[in-house]
Amino acid sequence: MKKLCAILLALVLLLTLAACGGKETDQNSFVIWHDKEDAVAKVLEDYLKTALPDYTITLEKKTSLTDSLKLVGNDPSSAPDLFLFAHDKVGLFAEMGILAPVEDLLPAGALDAYLPMTVEAATYKGTVYQLPLYFETLLFLYNSKYMTPEMAPETTEDLYAYMEANTGRDRFGFVEQHSTAYYAAAWIHGFGGEILSADGTPFPDPQAVKDALRYHQKFVALMPGETEYATVNTLFLEGKADSTIGGPWMVPSARDAGIELGIAPMPTVDETGLPLAPYSGVQGVHVLTHAAKDKPEAVKALLEALLDPTVGVELALASGCAPARSDCYEDSAVANDPMVQAMRTTAEIAVPMPNLPEMDVMWTVLSNLLTDVNLSGKDVDESFDEALAEAENLIANMQ
Amino acid sequence: MDKKKKSVLVSYLVSAPSLTLIALMVVFPILYTFFISLTNMSVYHWFDFTIIGLQNYYRALFVFDSGFLSALLATVLWTAVSMLLQLVLAFLLASALNVPKLRPRKVYKTLLMFPWAMPGYVSILLWKTGIFNSEFGLLNQLMEALGRETVRWLSTDLSAFLCCTVVNLWLALPFMIMIMDGALQSIDRSYYESAILDGATWLERTRYITLPAIRPIIAPAVIITIFTTFKQFDVVYLLTQQMGARTGSGFHTILTYAYENAFVTNNYGYSSAISILIFLLMLAFSARFQLREEGDA
Amino acid sequence: MKKRMRETLGLTALNLFFIVLCFLTLIPILYALRVSLSGSNSLLSSGLSLLPEEFTLSNYLAVFTGEDILTWFGNSIFLAAATVAISLAVSVPAAYCFSRRRFPGRRLVLKWLVLLNSFPAILSMFAIYRLLRPLGLVNHRLGLILVYTGTMAVFSLWNMKGYFDTIPLEIEEAARMDGATDLQVVTRIVMPLAKPSVVVTALMVLIYVWNEYIYATTFMTGEANYTLAAGLYALQATEMRGSWPVFAAASIVVSVPVLVIFFLCQRHMTSGLTAGGVKG
Repeated sequence: MKKLCAILLALVLLLTLAACGGKETDQNSFVIWHDKEDAVAKVLEDYLKTALPDYTITLEKKTSLTDSLKLVGNDPSSAPDLFLFAHDKVGLFAEMGILAPVEDLLPAGALDAYLPMTVEAATYKGTVYQLPLYFETLLFLYNSKYMTPEMAPETTEDLYAYMEANTGRDRFGFVEQHSTAYYAAAWIHGFGGEILSADGTPFPDPQAVKDALRYHQKFVALMPGETEYATVNTLFLEGKADSTIGGPWMVPSARDAGIELGIAPMPTVDETGLPLAPYSGVQGVHVLTHAAKDKPEAVKALLEALLDPTVGVELALASGCAPARSDCYEDSAVANDPMVQAMRTTAEIAVPMPNLPEMDVMWTVLSNLLTDVNLSGKDVDESFDEALAEAENLIANMQ
Repeated sequence: MDKKKKSVLVSYLVSAPSLTLIALMVVFPILYTFFISLTNMSVYHWFDFTIIGLQNYYRALFVFDSGFLSALLATVLWTAVSMLLQLVLAFLLASALNVPKLRPRKVYKTLLMFPWAMPGYVSILLWKTGIFNSEFGLLNQLMEALGRETVRWLSTDLSAFLCCTVVNLWLALPFMIMIMDGALQSIDRSYYESAILDGATWLERTRYITLPAIRPIIAPAVIITIFTTFKQFDVVYLLTQQMGARTGSGFHTILTYAYENAFVTNNYGYSSAISILIFLLMLAFSARFQLREEGDA
Repeated sequence: MKKRMRETLGLTALNLFFIVLCFLTLIPILYALRVSLSGSNSLLSSGLSLLPEEFTLSNYLAVFTGEDILTWFGNSIFLAAATVAISLAVSVPAAYCFSRRRFPGRRLVLKWLVLLNSFPAILSMFAIYRLLRPLGLVNHRLGLILVYTGTMAVFSLWNMKGYFDTIPLEIEEAARMDGATDLQVVTRIVMPLAKPSVVVTALMVLIYVWNEYIYATTFMTGEANYTLAAGLYALQATEMRGSWPVFAAASIVVSVPVLVIFFLCQRHMTSGLTAGGVKG
């Protein structure tokens, strides 16, 4: 016992002795965290170097970016000044109090030039917390070798008919990550349902979700019994699946694999007349509170540099995504890129991922629900009721 | 008297660095988690949390519902099955590796260590995609070659349990074999020689010489492995429950269950309370089975 | 004559058994090897064969040229070496002390050390951050070394103490009679005898550090500071999502150094006790 006391005492001493080594804030240098591919990071780094020669800007790749920010978010000595990430954690970080509103740091009216969807995505409780750069949505992709543009399904029943006709031994008419929440959201939206409403209610329209789940089941039956990325990706790249719903990240590898890629609009659901509306993710720059406070002028200069349409164009082309500024679409490289244009069109129906903190638990709840219904063959009504109860319980326990 | 005091002091000094490290990296996190469990630290009070007493514990008790109980039961079963298989197989293999005149034993040992030399998430990914995948995993390719129906290996509770056990065994056996092997080599050969002269069979030699001799040496490793198995998260989570790659099985250990039902809320106070309760539960288990402290008198 | 025949037969059977066993154990790894050596970006391709259809080293080339793998390799080596050295330096004396000396608090500490293992450390990250931050050790190698040594300290202490317990006291006493000092007893007599246990402990620490990625990715920032395991983890999350062969190649590359070290260490893992027959 004495021993333990001694250890504890030593521990307390050590902690009190170790004073926090305050780091001087260097007004002219920035650290930006990101979790992007090297190609995207390089474009941003090169651009910032030429646009802001007076500043030292370091882009640091951080794998578990959100978890790390939870740890170090308000600690200037280990946190970055800014970070590049999707908009869906805006609410979480804003509630934690580590994000600075970006509108105060931008010239008045700067955000008017952006696609409304991207600004909406970056707004949490009326405040904009992210300067959007580019966005991604899921697309209906097909292998032109098997599916010609005329054969691309206009409605979900067309798609089903195509699947029935073309799914057989070692071959699939259509594959997707059917029981993964991000992908299944498109089907729920196609029935007018929502996963999380703007005020934080889980599954505000239960009937729509149940209808979507029930309708989706016959499609799942004609797809592989796996929902993970590797399976779907491989089947499509190997030419064993004629079509898929996938993100821009699939495009470079599909081109490498020699697939003649076609892009079609999302099919509409016959019953509701609504298209399958995927989630969209807006990638942009977030400013941490301490940076906005300690070096406002520098942060302003940086954000202003990022308003330039050229960086939007370059980033979009490097990542295979679509720029967030409307004037970027005047650029001929963007105008001629079918991928970017398709994404722009899909953006009109796409739903920005909810950016409320509650969404964090909804991903888990929805993927449980999808697994129960699609992979374990459980009853839709029962599973839904369970999922709703679980969602309410988890949301209550967030507080 | 003075001499004795001095000796005690020396003992403390010599073991102090090790114990300090343990205090910092193992004990402090436990105490800190306990402290956080008494606060309302959550997304909404991330840096400005206050102490709210035992409220989190009161709420945490609701997590211990029927789902938790079945996860607990599954975890106990999982630990028992895994440990039994590990100990028996490791003992047999280590004994076989110690057969005299087995020339290439070094090569065998090195090859058998391979699973241990890979980061866990890598090998689990290999198993999941390379072996169990229902579309192009080796197992299903074997089934097809044999003209059988393909199987979704990770989709039901029972088959997922078995698959997880196999993978866990694959990951953990190398360590256990190494420990057993080391322990077996510490036994003096002359004991066996006299036992053989007395006409003792292999079973008798194992029971009366080998087991008593290796028990104190392997005890620490075995006890630590029991806890690791009980707390297993990676194998079960990455094989069957990972977000975006779930397989349909409902097999949970208490940690994957707690993860899904509490840790995802980002409510640190509440999650800490659950961690502490699981800790207490495991302490109670340890007491119940009167884990032998160590092999000393 | 007959006895020798039987012995040879038995040995052959045993060898066969181990060859089959090694093959079975290595199937997932052979599978990775095949994928890493095959040209097409394929999970399916050639069915059951463990040989690649078209042989290529391009994936290995991609691993070594495309990424900072040599930097990561250096980081891993540095961390592993430092952690093993510190672990042994603090644990050997403590383990010997707990095995041989009697002092107040000894049994209590031993008992609690085991029980500490039952804490689910999934949330420990936050506490460890709170500890490293005031010391200025976040994003610092020393911080990681501290975390790793601390995490492995319980095992190291326990594992070696267990082994020290089996070394008969009489040997030490005999040496003391001959006028050896405490230090001499430990360095000349005990350590050589305990070598297998020390080597096993060192290997265990080494492999833990080599394969650890959670702390390494959370506490270290920037690709130049990654370890092999952390770098590989980062890659499979982004770049390699589509490139299974490169991932397979990288996983083989990560494992080989450990195996080489293991192979080289085996000589030192056989006990001094059996060799010298000191017990009898």
